[in-house]
Amino acid sequence: MKKKLGSIKYLFLILFSIVAVFPFLWLLSTSFKGAEEVFLFPPKLFPSKINTDNYIGIVNAIPLWRYFFNTLFVVISTIGVNVLIASLTGFALARFNFKFKNIFFMIILASMLVPKEIIVIPLYRTVLSLGLVDTLFGVVLPFAAEGFAIFMMRQAFLSIPKDIEEAAIIDGANLFNLWFKVLLPITKPTLATLVIFTFIGTWGDFIWPLIILKSSENFTLQVGLSYMLGTFVNNYRYVAAGSVIALIPVIVVFFSMQKYFIKGIITGSGK
Amino acid sequence: MKNKAVYFFLLPGIIFLVIFALLPMIQIFYFSLIDYTLIGSRSYNAFGNYIKLFGDERFWHVFLNSFLYLAVTPLLIIVSLLLALLLRENKKISIILRSVYFLPVVTPLVIAGIIWRWIFAEDTGLMNYLLSIINISNIPWLSSFPENMISLFIVTIWRGAGYYMMIFLAGLAVLPKEIEEAAEIDGAGYISKVFYIIIPQLKYVISLVFVVSAASAIKIFTELYVMIPGAPMDNKTIVYYLFSEAFEKFDFGVSSAAGVILFLITLGFSIANIKLMEHQK
Repeated sequence: MKKKLGSIKYLFLILFSIVAVFPFLWLLSTSFKGAEEVFLFPPKLFPSKINTDNYIGIVNAIPLWRYFFNTLFVVISTIGVNVLIASLTGFALARFNFKFKNIFFMIILASMLVPKEIIVIPLYRTVLSLGLVDTLFGVVLPFAAEGFAIFMMRQAFLSIPKDIEEAAIIDGANLFNLWFKVLLPITKPTLATLVIFTFIGTWGDFIWPLIILKSSENFTLQVGLSYMLGTFVNNYRYVAAGSVIALIPVIVVFFSMQKYFIKGIITGSGK
Repeated sequence: MKNKAVYFFLLPGIIFLVIFALLPMIQIFYFSLIDYTLIGSRSYNAFGNYIKLFGDERFWHVFLNSFLYLAVTPLLIIVSLLLALLLRENKKISIILRSVYFLPVVTPLVIAGIIWRWIFAEDTGLMNYLLSIINISNIPWLSSFPENMISLFIVTIWRGAGYYMMIFLAGLAVLPKEIEEAAEIDGAGYISKVFYIIIPQLKYVISLVFVVSAASAIKIFTELYVMIPGAPMDNKTIVYYLFSEAFEKFDFGVSSAAGVILFLITLGFSIANIKLMEHQK
């Protein structure tokens, strides 16, 4: 009985592994196929030879590298501003007593109840009035602060023992140094988790950039890919090559920072 | 600590959240009550937008579809819980497979949609080819309802299972070992141990996964935009409808009214979520 259960277990694991990984291999395989191989029926699993024409073709057909660096700009600025704001506000909430503290705390919690998908019209109006429609700043701005990030940083500061800050104050640290030099380094694991989650989320973000970006030279990768899908409907190979290029950074970040993902899911599973 | 400098730390975050989350939500309530199109008077319109919304047959379709789409959550729970149970032990192979199953989670939705759109392509796709081997022919995975909803279910499960598996693994890791050991001594088999010992103890984690995955399922948009852009509105969901009313038909009032309805639904999920988190502590 136990042996039977064991082999069923491995059967499941193998099956799930195939389902999880196969779509990636299919994408990779399509990106190396020749024109005549894509629409073969039955479909061909592997290209007859590794063919890099599609990568050259897509880079010549659309400004893919431009999309890549636009995306990188959006991702890095979103991470930078988010981390800065969350660590400032999280520190204030964790370490100070002030008037209306509960109201400020409620504002943060309430902001977490508002799905961004619903408020795109007012966001568009605000960004329009700032003259930032069709700019990368316009993509970043509404996502520059997130309630859950502030909340996460507050928890991180709360978990630091009070003695550390009392010792620093006795040693003559001013408030800014206390925050920046003494406490912030201790929250590094939470900061890392925040950086990675923001990276993955922003890299794949779609609906807002789709709404705000109009001209091709400002597209992010995801908007560019969806646009490409419309233009090259039947050129799977080009779209596949573009998708592989857009996918590599997330895969690299994921494999190099795995342990922070797990920590993030456990602390942030309420998100 | 008490210090005026606190506002230097506090305010940047608060100002951003007010401008880019709270005020917009209030504006949505306001827009839903005014006549707001490109040429509209922007005057108070009472419940005109809601009457128009509820009178639009397409709205009821997308509303119903969004709720039908919630049926994906029990499937997602079963698959992710099963994965967590299979990979519970901290063996090397389990640790590797956890990463493998997590890979779809980090994949951008647009790319996931592109890949699956090809797999489900009706004439040339892999899915119909595999099914043709067992004599099932030409399922309209993308062009007909409800087949296209089933395709979206598959993509959602593919992309979400690894995430919820991690939450279940975290839940399993804190279960006290003694109860299971006692059950084993009493001669309980693996299956009965899962159903009578493990699942009851995971009650709150399961409800949490349900609430979190339902809140995200009801907002599905990108997968539809990428995989079935040409399908009629009848096959789509609420966010697609409010996107199309706002940015294709420029009826911001009706779009906002749909937004208010969706907000009230997600608010219900969020409140349930907060209650469950409190319960766990």
